[in-house]
Amino acid sequence: MDSDDDMHDANDLESLEDDFYSGGTGIGSEEEDDYDDDDDDDDDEDYGFVDNDSDDIMEIAANRYQKNYTILNEASIQQCQEDDITRVSTVLSIPRVASCILLRHYNWSVNKVHDEWFADEENARKTVGLLEKLIEIPKEKELVCGICFDTYPREKMNAAACGHPFCHVCWRGYIGTSISDGPGCLMLRCPDPSCDAAIGQDMISLLATHDDAEKYSKYLIRSYIENNRKTKWCPAPGCEFAVDFVLGSGNFDVCCNCSHTFCWNCTEEAHRPVDCGTVAKWILKNSAESENMNWILANSKPCPKCKRPIEKNQGCMHITCTPPCKYEFCWLCLGAWSDHGERTGGFYACNRYEAARQEGVYDETERRREMAKNSLERYTHYYERWATNQSSRQKALADLHSMQTEKLEKLSEKQSQPESQLKFIIEAWSQIVECRRVLKWTYAYGYYLPDHEHAKRQFFEYLQGEAESGLERLHQCVEKELQIYFDAANSVQDFNDFRTKLAGLTSVTRNYFENLVRALEMGLKDVGPVNNQATSSKTLSSKNLGSRGGKSGKSKM
Amino acid sequence: MSGGIARGRLAEERKAWRKNHPHGFVARPETLPDGTVNLMVWNCTIPGKQGTDWEGGHFPLTLLFSEDYPSKPPKCKFPQGFFHPNVYPSGTVCLSILNEDSGWRPAITVKQILIGIQDLLDQPNPADPAQTDGYHLFIQDPPEYKKRVRQQAKQYPPLL
Repeated sequence: MDSDDDMHDANDLESLEDDFYSGGTGIGSEEEDDYDDDDDDDDDEDYGFVDNDSDDIMEIAANRYQKNYTILNEASIQQCQEDDITRVSTVLSIPRVASCILLRHYNWSVNKVHDEWFADEENARKTVGLLEKLIEIPKEKELVCGICFDTYPREKMNAAACGHPFCHVCWRGYIGTSISDGPGCLMLRCPDPSCDAAIGQDMISLLATHDDAEKYSKYLIRSYIENNRKTKWCPAPGCEFAVDFVLGSGNFDVCCNCSHTFCWNCTEEAHRPVDCGTVAKWILKNSAESENMNWILANSKPCPKCKRPIEKNQGCMHITCTPPCKYEFCWLCLGAWSDHGERTGGFYACNRYEAARQEGVYDETERRREMAKNSLERYTHYYERWATNQSSRQKALADLHSMQTEKLEKLSEKQSQPESQLKFIIEAWSQIVECRRVLKWTYAYGYYLPDHEHAKRQFFEYLQGEAESGLERLHQCVEKELQIYFDAANSVQDFNDFRTKLAGLTSVTRNYFENLVRALEMGLKDVGPVNNQATSSKTLSSKNLGSRGGKSGKSKM
Repeated sequence: MSGGIARGRLAEERKAWRKNHPHGFVARPETLPDGTVNLMVWNCTIPGKQGTDWEGGHFPLTLLFSEDYPSKPPKCKFPQGFFHPNVYPSGTVCLSILNEDSGWRPAITVKQILIGIQDLLDQPNPADPAQTDGYHLFIQDPPEYKKRVRQQAKQYPPLL
């Protein structure tokens, strides 16, 4: 391992700043914030006005979450594909098979096919292997198959539009080999080496085995989703839905019918308000060996003889490396233990080390070790919170599910209330799931927020703290306080009070998170180091940020 | 897949070759010690093209066919350490038409393979190097490259 690399990781804190400003993926958005300051609306925290607020909030939310995608199941994928094939086939007046070949070649973009075809039909035909005129198989009674070299009567031979004849067995073998080699079979050409004629699905259905023909159709469907710029599979394991996304429509959050939410742009799980770049960096960081290296660097020293890293777990400075090395040395100065003893300061100190340190010999390595330790601690801080919210979200998701599937029914019996009247509980749980997700990502955001941006950091931590404590109250309420209504007898009034409280908390928490998300999406613009006016004015207060005049924050991811 | 057709096709290839083959080329299935013919391995000779640095050489090439032939191409090998930018150190030829993932078509004949390799000798493909020695000289030191090619041609005189 190259020690320079290790050091680089150790100096993460320093290099972080460079990273932060170099990429286009910085957290700060370039856009001017475009929401009005409705200063009089500062009753967001007031529990009493929850109902008034919620309509507005719903509106904002609806605006932001406006669906800019369609979830496709197998049938609708097939339908879309058929429709596209039909469109091209109609416009170009060519058979559907030819239209399918063209579309596959131009990644299922109808526009691209039209452009290429109308710009230069001859060239487009040549590129994809569509002959203009059908060439007949040579008019001889008997023909030699170009693959097995056997002779067959003419009617036993098949050829693509190019007229190169091959026998059935060889066709089947040729097609089968290509299909078992993978999706490349969708671009199959005539077996003749000098011929580029495309082999379409009609030939496949005619000549391949049933299984192969089926596989071919599967590849065709897969290709329609995978090669198309505007569609992707839902990345959840085992999910068979695909997403058709309206390109260029801002918000990337997609919620699949399988209930998995993910970012259309990077296919990681949904991570609003944090941008894809930060998420990618963070995920890489979590998985990277670099953190292990940092740990090793911070907590171990290499054996001076065999160079294996050693973690010191006992008090004494006399270290004996594990076999086969068995080298005995001093932890402090890394010198041979044989040079030590009473005269070098005994077992718990090392005069050689002290002396050398005073001369500055050890400063550099010590400093690096210290930095690595700090950077590791800092990372651990954010990582723990990120991971805790993640697992907390998983738990909430499971709770939501069990509430929907069984508990709600029980509660409805117990409290003699129709399930429709208990929707507020489901809403609370859904809110928690969503908030845990947002909160989780704000820790990745916080990790990459530069240290020197004090005002931003303060503001961010304030918003995050508000949101977090709101969420904790809500989570606590639905997790613990709801419990008693499952068994004990209680008055209707009690339960109604609980309803009011929980609905209130849900709404307030939603509000806090709206504020947080909006602020982060605008790159904490209000408190930029340059934007003095904002820092000094009242706008710093979180209440104003939450003002209803705000249009949904348009953010560039 | 097209299991079983390999031998039939190779027998036909052999017939076609005997009827007519390009001048200077040799291609014959290997004969085992017990006198039987193994159609799956062919010993061939490719003559260097006249008027090129390869002229005068008769380069031995072995074609190794698998049971998947002609769905899959044969492996074509010069002697180990053969000097050419597109020949691996093992002697295996790297040529687009011999690549099962791209250029190979089952209708490519032995004759076409051999002629294709003869063409490759004098027209290496620098985009697809297979050995360092041949590639570096070809790119950086053409006079030395020519010298090495001529030397190698002398190493492989006609067999008869």
